[in-house]
Amino acid sequence: MTTTIIGRLSQAFLLLLAMSIIGFAGIHSVGNPVFNIVNVETATPEDIRRATIALGLDQPLWQQYFLFLGNVVSGNFGTSYIYHLPAFRLVMSKLPATFELAAIAMLIAAPSGVLLGLLAGRRKDTLLDRTILNSSVFALSVPSFWLSMLLIMVGAVMTGWFPSGGRGETVALFGVTWSFLTASGLAHLALPALALAIPNIALIARLTRSGTVEVEAQDFTRFCQAKGLSPRRILFRHTLPNISVPIVTIIGMQFGGMLAFAVVVESIFNWPGIGKLLIDSIQLLDRPVVMATLTFVAVAFVGLNALVDIFYAVLDPRTRRSA
Amino acid sequence: MQQSYNSDPLLIVEKLTLKTSGSSTSKTILRDVGIDLRRGEILGLIGESGAGKSSLGYAVLGLLSPGIERSAGSIVFDGEHLEAMTEQTRAGIRGRRIAAIFQDHGASLDPLMTVGAQIAETVRAAGTKVSRRQARQRAIELMARVGIPEPETRYGHHPHQFSGGQRQRLVIAIALAGNPQIIVADEPTSALDATVQKQVLTLLRSLVDETGVSIMLVTHDMGVIADITDRVVVMRQGRVVEQGETAAILDAPADPYTRTLLAAVPRLRLSMLPPPDGSMVCAEPPFEAVLRVDKVGKTFAGHGLSWITSGYRRSALSDVTVSLQRGAITGIVGESGSGKSTLGRIIAGLETASDGTLDLLGQRFDISQSGRRSGLLGEIQMIFQDPSASLNPRISVSDTLHEAVRFGARGSTGDSLSILSMMDRLGLARSLLAHHPHQLSGGQKQRVCIARALLTRPAIIVADEPTSALDVSVQAEIVTLLKETVAEQHVSMLFISHDLALVQALCQSIYVLKDGVVEDQGDPGFIFSRSQNPYTRSLIEARPARFTH
Amino acid sequence: MKTETLWAFWKRPATYRVTLPKLMAVAYVLLAILASVIAPQNPYDPLQIFAWEASSPPGTVSGGGYLYLLGTDGLGRDILSTVFYGLRISLFVAVTSTVLAALIGMSLGVIAAYLGRWADALIMRIVDLQLSLPTMLVALIAIVTLGPGVDRIILALVIVQWAAYARVTRGVAMSEASKAYLDAARLLRLPPWRIIFRHLLPNSIAPAITLIPIELGHAVALEATLSFLGLGVPIDKPSLGSAVANGFQYLMTGQYWISLFPGLALFGLIASINFVGEDVRRRFDPRSL
Repeated sequence: MTTTIIGRLSQAFLLLLAMSIIGFAGIHSVGNPVFNIVNVETATPEDIRRATIALGLDQPLWQQYFLFLGNVVSGNFGTSYIYHLPAFRLVMSKLPATFELAAIAMLIAAPSGVLLGLLAGRRKDTLLDRTILNSSVFALSVPSFWLSMLLIMVGAVMTGWFPSGGRGETVALFGVTWSFLTASGLAHLALPALALAIPNIALIARLTRSGTVEVEAQDFTRFCQAKGLSPRRILFRHTLPNISVPIVTIIGMQFGGMLAFAVVVESIFNWPGIGKLLIDSIQLLDRPVVMATLTFVAVAFVGLNALVDIFYAVLDPRTRRSA
Repeated sequence: MQQSYNSDPLLIVEKLTLKTSGSSTSKTILRDVGIDLRRGEILGLIGESGAGKSSLGYAVLGLLSPGIERSAGSIVFDGEHLEAMTEQTRAGIRGRRIAAIFQDHGASLDPLMTVGAQIAETVRAAGTKVSRRQARQRAIELMARVGIPEPETRYGHHPHQFSGGQRQRLVIAIALAGNPQIIVADEPTSALDATVQKQVLTLLRSLVDETGVSIMLVTHDMGVIADITDRVVVMRQGRVVEQGETAAILDAPADPYTRTLLAAVPRLRLSMLPPPDGSMVCAEPPFEAVLRVDKVGKTFAGHGLSWITSGYRRSALSDVTVSLQRGAITGIVGESGSGKSTLGRIIAGLETASDGTLDLLGQRFDISQSGRRSGLLGEIQMIFQDPSASLNPRISVSDTLHEAVRFGARGSTGDSLSILSMMDRLGLARSLLAHHPHQLSGGQKQRVCIARALLTRPAIIVADEPTSALDVSVQAEIVTLLKETVAEQHVSMLFISHDLALVQALCQSIYVLKDGVVEDQGDPGFIFSRSQNPYTRSLIEARPARFTH
Repeated sequence: MKTETLWAFWKRPATYRVTLPKLMAVAYVLLAILASVIAPQNPYDPLQIFAWEASSPPGTVSGGGYLYLLGTDGLGRDILSTVFYGLRISLFVAVTSTVLAALIGMSLGVIAAYLGRWADALIMRIVDLQLSLPTMLVALIAIVTLGPGVDRIILALVIVQWAAYARVTRGVAMSEASKAYLDAARLLRLPPWRIIFRHLLPNSIAPAITLIPIELGHAVALEATLSFLGLGVPIDKPSLGSAVANGFQYLMTGQYWISLFPGLALFGLIASINFVGEDVRRRFDPRSL
């Protein structure tokens, strides 16, 4: 058990280390970072030399890498060219908005997806099953940006039921501002959360369905029937626990995925989260913020994955080490 | 069926016909099957693959696979027609009055639930008003009854913490939980090693004698039938060929098919008879070793994060010394996990060893290196267990054999002519050359594999369980063929098997392997009659007495 | 692996059914190829565009004499023609990147499985790293590092996609490599390249091939998303994604057709590819669906 957790955490650590090398290489491939701080037009060679020393670019490459690593660990990604704020603090200030959006979307997607998947899986090859499967293909085929625009067109422009963008009124709680605590905030959340949830409902439904079909085809389900257990008991005590293992994994992974995919939905709904910040910064060439955001999302995702895997190990006795 | 018997049948199956649904391509699984099962007896259903014996078992349980339907006949259990019942009444009978044991003990248990809870829930499902505490108590009693040591501690363990034999015992405990009148056991021991199989069969027999339960035992193994059944039903292609008292049928089979089945069962001779033909000749000349492996060892490092679990190493082989005599068949016998296949693969150069040396025809090869690097690879050919996996499914027989001649042959002896004459000698029709493997029968595939090995003119062939994936009747043909091949082609053979009788019939010298160590060795006369090694004795005793003389 | 082999699949008697998604997918490919022939206008040619006819609703008759069936955009370009030309760019980018990714991924997967040891470890660690991150994140990192341009987008999509093929192929190849026919091939002392390409590869790629339609759908969607965000193909060669983005600003003023029709075309394209992909997967692996 402990070995599994230590193993998984060290794996996550190695993954992050590998990514930091890629990130380091990425920064150097993009252009000389000196021009981030000096004005290309007016700088004298002396300015450039001084900036080079200040950034540590005269050091050997491996020392530069450790300098970079130290900066990353301490959250020092430099200062935003646009907002003139430390890049990492900027990212952190946008995090609650994204987290809130992803959480609400997952609260919609997970229960409905699991329910639809169970319905379809239990009634394999019926009309209901085919309807759910085919709808899921449609739902997964709608590009999220176009889905968002359709939602704006129907939910905001044509009917005027929901606002088309922004966060609405926010309330401070634990020193962070949240939208979901006000009526206006909830109304603003509705469309973007739906846009984020719909593909995930389809994905979770499909995976739940195939999990159900797979578990029900296994010998122990048949053996449970031979044992004389009631179908109810087989479903709740045997089938569901066995499906829940992959479902929990998927939900965890998708939650991390939402943090990354929120970029599209956030830019369209003008939702001031890290996704919108990332796209804006890419377009404005605000490199420190781009680096800070990508690093943060990658770290968050890897961390979340490690957590899910550990949870998985707790859930599944086969990965526990026998006492 | 019409014979008078002092006990009423508990279950009567009459004229049962099962078909796959789908009107146009409907296939008959069972045709007009009639059997009866009496109280307190073990009834064996035997047949080769496709005989329909498992379907009959599932029909009695009411758990036919989707797509199979009853088109005629009846199943009467204790005076009631099972086929006329609603699914609900049927479910009420399952687990309580008719229970089941399936073949795959690993898959029958829910991996996420403790074994105790799985037994207890069956106890509670079967009886009315059983409290949790009572169910737990009963589950522990059942675990003790089927021979699980320390049942109280083991109650809270998960299935993966038990060995294969123990898991099958737990499945039996679950089957017993509802105090059933009938247990349908589908190949309950075929996934187990011989010694464990013997113990589980003994347990089943004692349960019948003690509780009076009737068991319907589905198997392909004549040894199991001979060991514990009272009566036997022989099935072939969905029909009952013959049925009656087990002893009577084994002594005097009436149907030719039963006779073929019985004749194909390898028999072990314990009394000192003159050795089988051919080996007399080989016993005479002085021992000339064509191959010798000395003190071979192999350890596997633990999987995964080696830097955390570096303390964990498993030894597959240690200190194994084996010599092969020129022109003879040397046998390696062992149960699963004994390391016998690993040894064969090391000798063929497919795997590396951690320690030891190998001398082939006076030349030493470094077996700590990959076979390609040391040059050992290709000197020795192999015949594998599963003929379907031994041939590339996309390549025709002709291409497979030509590849062997072009790349594998030692010296410039190979050409198309030699392929044709090899096929003739092995009894393969020349018309098969254009076929792909999926168009061949199991026996034909294995013959192609033998041809491929022989065409490279190796000094030694390693045969790793070459017959165990084949039906009994084909097994005998391949064994004969291997024997003739060794005599005609001047090769030596290392024959790896779990089957004592086969090894006895083929080999001039035998090594018994257990947990990676050579336990016993000698010629067949010594191993089977004089050896006092306790492990060798236990292997011999695990064999069905019926086929041991 | 119970997956049906490609061989058996092709040898099977014709169970091939013409379905709506297949027809649509074929139609899309034809429209993309014939875009310049059947489009009423070349939306890249300023001489054919009349600025005073900008934002005409669907059904307007142009001064040039033809019908703006789906209306015009903010610059006066015919939406129908934009859809045809956009389709061409979208499909070109997606197909090229998918084919490249499949070839690279399958080869690396088989090579990793056969060579084992450090080659396997190296290739599979990169695959794990990539597959453990969301595709969108990988795509964004690739785009930010590579910069804009059609060739860069294709490269970014290849980087995003190859790993899935490599993992699937390597998994099958590992189980194939443990089969006896491969041991037999090694015992015949066949040269490694012959073992890899004649024995291992043909038996290992079937599941990866079934991935192709699904990944093609992903590629279309991903390219469209990147282009929508302004990170994809350049503005002067608009794909369907940039055509939708182009109409976004007009959405609030009720000029829905500028983004609706390119979006509908895109949705239809992805949906038909996905349904074909679903069908292919169901045939090869009846257990999965």
